[in-house]
Amino acid sequence: MSLNHVLPFKTMIYTALALLVLTVLTVAVYYIDFPDPFNTIIALGIATVKAALVCMFFMGLYWDTKFNTLVLLSSLLFFLIMIGIILLDTLFREAPFQIYG
Amino acid sequence: MANNSGAAEKDAHLAHHFVDSEQQFEASKLGMWVFLVTEILFFGGLFVAYIVFRSWHPDLFEQAAMTLDTTLGAVNTVVLIASSLTIVLAVRAAQINDQRQQLIMLGATIAFAITFMVIKYFEYTHKFEYGMLPAGLYTYDGIEHELAPVFYSIYYMMTGLHGIHVIIGIGLIGWLMVRAAKGTFHSNYFTPIEIVALYWHLVDIIWIFLFPLLYLIE
Repeated sequence: MSLNHVLPFKTMIYTALALLVLTVLTVAVYYIDFPDPFNTIIALGIATVKAALVCMFFMGLYWDTKFNTLVLLSSLLFFLIMIGIILLDTLFREAPFQIYG
Repeated sequence: MANNSGAAEKDAHLAHHFVDSEQQFEASKLGMWVFLVTEILFFGGLFVAYIVFRSWHPDLFEQAAMTLDTTLGAVNTVVLIASSLTIVLAVRAAQINDQRQQLIMLGATIAFAITFMVIKYFEYTHKFEYGMLPAGLYTYDGIEHELAPVFYSIYYMMTGLHGIHVIIGIGLIGWLMVRAAKGTFHSNYFTPIEIVALYWHLVDIIWIFLFPLLYLIE
């Protein structure tokens, strides 16, 4: 947000309420048994929505210059490169070598 | 300049190499976002360790996560969300020149942060009693899986590094309170509150991911 932009009070309260509702939802979903990968996918999906809400409204990216959003997204890109290349190794090892006794 | 001392005082924060307060504010904030990128990649290394070991041993994570208290984890999530709200309201208080509200909101943020650490303290000491410690220190015998110490190494590294960030945040917000009490911040200059708030929100976001990944495994 620019220096002259005052954060709207209601938006802040609604953002916090949305985060609380999503927290309750993610705990509720934990007690429901979905077929295997879906519990993790739903939990991470909810966490991603929560993180996006914090970034957009609490951290002000919604009102900010788009360049700051680009900086943030670049970190996600580099994280995906890091985890992607590492998983190409660790997921496809014939016999994982013994790194613990 | 001589007969304009009021305006000069108001711009005391402005460094000579910036055109105006707006440009200085935006430059500081961009710098903070670049720092937050390094923070994300710093924690990213730990998330990689988590993902690799969970993909190798999904059963280990299912069993070991049962020892974590979902209720305490959820309460801590709510506490951090509340602290994020109070610090953003502290930023807003500076924007509307309300010094009293700045101090109240910053104080509330510290109170929530300390609540988080107290709950974390009870979680940790409870685990220490049962010998749920990282790597070679592990002595608990309630988990069948032979690699149980590996889970606790990851758990303590991730929540511990996050906890260190919370403690640093408490220090930073305390420093903000001292400066706010002196009346440093006003609608034309609140960069330190904004910067620390960005840091604090990132700490909140890290926990938003740690909570489901550690506490909410089937």
